[in-house]
Amino acid sequence: MDQPVTHKPVTWDTSKMDVKRVVDVIRVTPETNTSRTPVDKAPDPELGHDVIPAERYYSEAFMKLEWEHIWTKVWLLGGRADDIPNPGDYICTEIGKESVLIVRQHDGSLRCFPNVCLHRGNRLRPEGIGNAQMFRCMYHHWTYGLDGKIDRLPDLCTFPQGGPPGMTLPSLPVTEWNAFVWFSLNPDVEPFDDYIAPLKDHLEPYHPERMAWKRDVTVEWDCNWKASVDAFNETYHVQGIHPQLQWYLDDVNVQIDCYERHNRYLIPFAAISPRVAMPSTIPPAIDEIMRHAGMDPADYEGRVSDIRRDVQLFKRKHGKAQGKDYSALNDDQLTDDYHYMIFPNVALNVHADDIMMFRQRPHASDPNKMLYDVWVFELVPEGEPWPERVKHRRFKHGERSIGQVLDQDAYNLPTVQAGMKSESFPGLWIGEQELRIRHFHKVLDDYIYGPGQKQPGDM
Amino acid sequence: MDLGLQGKKAIVVGGARGIGYAVAEILAREGADVAISARGEDSVKDAVAALSRYGTRVVGKPCNVKKADDYKALLEWAIEALEGVDVLIPLSSAGGGMGSEKYWHNAFETDVMGPVRAIEAVIPVMTQRKSGSIVLVATTSALEAMGGPQAYNAMKASLITYGKQLALAHGKDGIRVNVVSPGPIEFEGGNWDMIKGTMEKFYQSQLRQQPMGRLGRPEEVARAIVFLASEAASWCSGSHLVVDGAFTNRTHF
Repeated sequence: MDQPVTHKPVTWDTSKMDVKRVVDVIRVTPETNTSRTPVDKAPDPELGHDVIPAERYYSEAFMKLEWEHIWTKVWLLGGRADDIPNPGDYICTEIGKESVLIVRQHDGSLRCFPNVCLHRGNRLRPEGIGNAQMFRCMYHHWTYGLDGKIDRLPDLCTFPQGGPPGMTLPSLPVTEWNAFVWFSLNPDVEPFDDYIAPLKDHLEPYHPERMAWKRDVTVEWDCNWKASVDAFNETYHVQGIHPQLQWYLDDVNVQIDCYERHNRYLIPFAAISPRVAMPSTIPPAIDEIMRHAGMDPADYEGRVSDIRRDVQLFKRKHGKAQGKDYSALNDDQLTDDYHYMIFPNVALNVHADDIMMFRQRPHASDPNKMLYDVWVFELVPEGEPWPERVKHRRFKHGERSIGQVLDQDAYNLPTVQAGMKSESFPGLWIGEQELRIRHFHKVLDDYIYGPGQKQPGDM
Repeated sequence: MDLGLQGKKAIVVGGARGIGYAVAEILAREGADVAISARGEDSVKDAVAALSRYGTRVVGKPCNVKKADDYKALLEWAIEALEGVDVLIPLSSAGGGMGSEKYWHNAFETDVMGPVRAIEAVIPVMTQRKSGSIVLVATTSALEAMGGPQAYNAMKASLITYGKQLALAHGKDGIRVNVVSPGPIEFEGGNWDMIKGTMEKFYQSQLRQQPMGRLGRPEEVARAIVFLASEAASWCSGSHLVVDGAFTNRTHF
């Protein structure tokens, strides 16, 4: 493992790009990989070069198609399992016009119900997490047990037709995986294991259950949810909107892997982009990585270009003493950003010490708006107390900063959304570095129009 | 004006990039033989190749100034390779940094002992020839409070004092010693290039403080250094020249 062979997981010719140097990144190879997370380069799918129609970003008709064929059909991320450890703990979360309750049962299992009183349609709970012995509607006190059954229907005798069918809220599919809870609005959804494949092997080694909430923010963005998914599905924008990250990561030597419906890219972190001249002093953000690993940057005698590998070796050597068990991860995972997209709307930056993930939800009625959830979790070293859960905050785009990098990501999205509607803009002109965008839209097409059934002229 | 550098032999420590490279380039262009050194093997190789186009003798070797024995050997090698030494410009630096005591050791070893050890190596040769010129490179960060309390500023300040003392002590040997303090200098791969990319607002605030609305370029400092190093500056010794585009506020009485 000390001398991993360099292999070539990057499909484009980096020497012809707008770069100052050609960098041969030291990488873990399939042969040297020690993690269950595979590093194999997946063959690139043949997805053509067509424009991706802009109309799908603002059309209400397309939004309706998405609702019918995607949001009500697939598995969706509901929240963190450790937010609901005890019977009666619940997560109330919204997707589009729907709201669901995910409830911990007395036997430890989970149930999921629509968050709606069967009497007059009132919401049973506001969005958020909480604990309840029962769910009593605030309107006429219809009362539901943790299992969704109607325990009390005041003056039942005045309903000659009796109570609603089965005297219970409908049950929706729900499951727990890798510290998160997942639900579906589709009673006939495929098994979760089939849906999430092949990502169980990829993501379980990160042990998210050892990580605690660090940030929980929801921002209302003025763009279609897919504009946000696209924004995080390529590294091409780093040189455009995140110039500072060029002294933090290698946005050129990126491996892209597309699977059946999910995809990922692997970005070397603690590295200098080949787009900028190699500095002789340690950049501030890489200095930060070294300190976080327990290294003293002032004591570092190597070259800036050696830091990524040296951080890996240092973490491998000292992680255990720091209460950090990296045994399930390969060396690259100790520094790099393995970035996953779980179809349709979850983006995860998974790292050895933290996970920064985004859930990108459509607005209930307006294709020009969305909800952007930022969830950050940090590894709690063994022996350290589990921190108190951070409070959820919610605001509108631009009201508050969500950090320099995410502010930069957010900055263009409203104008992207506006520009999409121009009659001079037929659609997205996508390059190889943006293959994941093309793949995401292909999966979307297959859900909406049927596999391979999208016709010319379709949105 | 003839700088009188034709055929002179110059050692530039930290001569592979930035101000140091610009100094080495002007020296070579003016007809001097040049020996350079720097940390990076590749960067020294590239610099030697580039400097050789001026047709003088250009040699170089990588060296970590902090490794005293290696460094002494490097200096001896350079003097031997050049068959003497007329000009010494030692300007390698450990750079800034706060939050670790180690930065003090780094700055002391590189920014102070780098020049000190080089001077000790060349003084006997220059004394014997009754001729020599040394230019030390400090910083405007030594003159005014900049960048927070850190080793870099304090250690660089010591060179200004040391340079004057050297000039007084070695005038009788025909050796001149001067100090140049550059303000912020920008070049590709340099700190300000990185700051421009990583801390855009801070960079812009620096620009606003600059009377000429920009940062300096390596060759603008290098020309001043080479002038002081040259025969053209034969009556300059013990001087301290601030080359900062009027950036510092203090009045230099």
